[in-house]
Amino acid sequence: MPFVNWLKRHLVVIAGLLTLAYLLLPNVIVTVFSFNQPKGRFNYEWQRFSTDAWQDPCGVAGMCGSLSLSLQIALWATVGATILGTMIAFALVRYRFRARGAVSSLIFLPMAMPEVVMAASLLTLFLNMGAQLGFWTVLIAHIMFCLSFVVTAVKARVMSMDPRLEEAARDLYAGPVQTFLRVTLPIAAPGIAAGALLSFALSFDDFIITNFNAGSTVTFPMFVWGSAQRGTPVQINVIGTAMFLVAVLLVLVSMVVGNRRNKQKA
Amino acid sequence: MKTTPDNSGDVRLSGISKTYGSFTAVHPLDLTVPEGSFFALLGASGCGKTTTLRMIAGLEEPTTGTVRLGDQDVTHLPPYKRPVNTVFQSYALFPHLDIFENVAFGLRRRGIKSVKKQVEEMLELVQLGEQARKKPHQLSGGQQQRVAVARALINHPKVLLLDEPLGALDLKLRRQMQLELKRIQTEVGITFVHVTHDQEEAMTMADTVAVMNGGRVEQLGAPADLYENPRTTFVANFLGTSNLIEAEVDTKSGEDIVLKAGGGKLVLPEARCSAPATSGGKVLVGIRPEKISLTHADDAGSIPAGRNRLTGTIADASFIGVSTQYVIDSPVCDELSVYVQNVERDGRLVPGADVVLHWSPAHTFGLDAAQDIDAGTEEEVAA
Repeated sequence: MPFVNWLKRHLVVIAGLLTLAYLLLPNVIVTVFSFNQPKGRFNYEWQRFSTDAWQDPCGVAGMCGSLSLSLQIALWATVGATILGTMIAFALVRYRFRARGAVSSLIFLPMAMPEVVMAASLLTLFLNMGAQLGFWTVLIAHIMFCLSFVVTAVKARVMSMDPRLEEAARDLYAGPVQTFLRVTLPIAAPGIAAGALLSFALSFDDFIITNFNAGSTVTFPMFVWGSAQRGTPVQINVIGTAMFLVAVLLVLVSMVVGNRRNKQKA
Repeated sequence: MKTTPDNSGDVRLSGISKTYGSFTAVHPLDLTVPEGSFFALLGASGCGKTTTLRMIAGLEEPTTGTVRLGDQDVTHLPPYKRPVNTVFQSYALFPHLDIFENVAFGLRRRGIKSVKKQVEEMLELVQLGEQARKKPHQLSGGQQQRVAVARALINHPKVLLLDEPLGALDLKLRRQMQLELKRIQTEVGITFVHVTHDQEEAMTMADTVAVMNGGRVEQLGAPADLYENPRTTFVANFLGTSNLIEAEVDTKSGEDIVLKAGGGKLVLPEARCSAPATSGGKVLVGIRPEKISLTHADDAGSIPAGRNRLTGTIADASFIGVSTQYVIDSPVCDELSVYVQNVERDGRLVPGADVVLHWSPAHTFGLDAAQDIDAGTEEEVAA
């Protein structure tokens, strides 16, 4: 039974590889089809290899504009949600105030609520306020749902922080501002960074809430959805692949930096 | 030892207290720590010693009273404006900074630009020159402890506060660091205020020990003085071990008080009795276990006259090496501890043997019988 033994020994690796394949297959398909030259308007059948789309990524009307809009919204939503969320997290951990428990659970509500419900109620709110749907309404909505994630990430970090570290800083001649900048903030930074990354990713690919509240503004996910009705340009795959590569690159860089730091320590 | 004549390193606490809602952590207390001394606040957890230390550091605002450093009233100064530094329990080293930056932190915050030389010298003093670029979590407990001391001392504070600095170290390392800290204190001549629950640590290191209990200072004095002349049952039991025997005052003869305990009589120098001794009143007679001699009942005649005596039966004997620790059942007290040096061991002193305990009256101390006789014992403190 050599085969059975071999299987026993490598079962974990095989299971791992299968899971990885399951996760990566869609990305592979996207990448492969970014080099396709489809017949007709739909890029669903492989015809032949071509780099046309890569040479002209903005060749589809409106696509790069929507991409740039999505990046802008994601950036500002990240900035807004990270600043607000960090402050909320500190307030929840550090201060004892009335209804602290209630606020703590209310913060989680946007994560638990079905997106479509939130989207519809936001739209109702904006319409009743007479707000002009567009960039600002989308941004406000994005900051709102990103907040919960930032608060969760930062709160965990702040809660595990030893309060004596700040006392030590104050004892060593650091005033309140210096203590915050030199000790509190650097120690909370990984939590804040995690919250910011999550915010960016969530905001960038949000479709449901954006679609309800964007009015005539078109973000990238909305553009993809819209073109899927009428025909899918290869450039969508190009952008998708590029995004995937950027993400992989970021992960690799952070791993290399982390490894180097660990080596220095050892 | 003193380098400046202005006493600017004196710590003077007058009437300071701290209450949290209805709980009083520290009752109004007056305390003066002379410049250049090694002062220990000793007590079980929750006795108010750490709160007292934090009020000196400025990390807690006193409810009443004032804190003075030398002639300066610092009661309302924030910690970062006080010439005082703290070595925190579990060190509180900044995890995101390396050892060099941890030590340089105080200098940099005061706007001192060229810190390299000072930091390197300080790291040499605590023998960590090689570790300057490591992060705190890469060091052992003893090394982290030394970084914490260096980080505080580099600022040349008027007073160095140490909050259970050796609590996290194992026994051997703790002994070593006790000597090390004592050496550093003698070398730099700065006033040290040390908080600990370890009575041996307090006695080894400090010039003066204040024993705290329930938010009050029970007794203050040199370690030997506290040990030999405890004035409360808490001090008697918390510092080492004491045998406390309830006795009735019989008569006074000269400078001695004669007491009745069980059927026998005990003599106690009046000067060593902290309770009012009126005829017929109750007094607790105290004697340290190592001051008692044990003689087998058969040899009772050989005991010199004039010594205090009690009879009893050995209930338990444990051989420790340098000494043997006996537990004696006596009619006046259930469990008397006796430590006997293993110089010439009497083979008859085994559990079940009848013995006479005797000691010099000069070693006897007297306490007020109105107190809890078990205050400060290990069981009581743990409960």
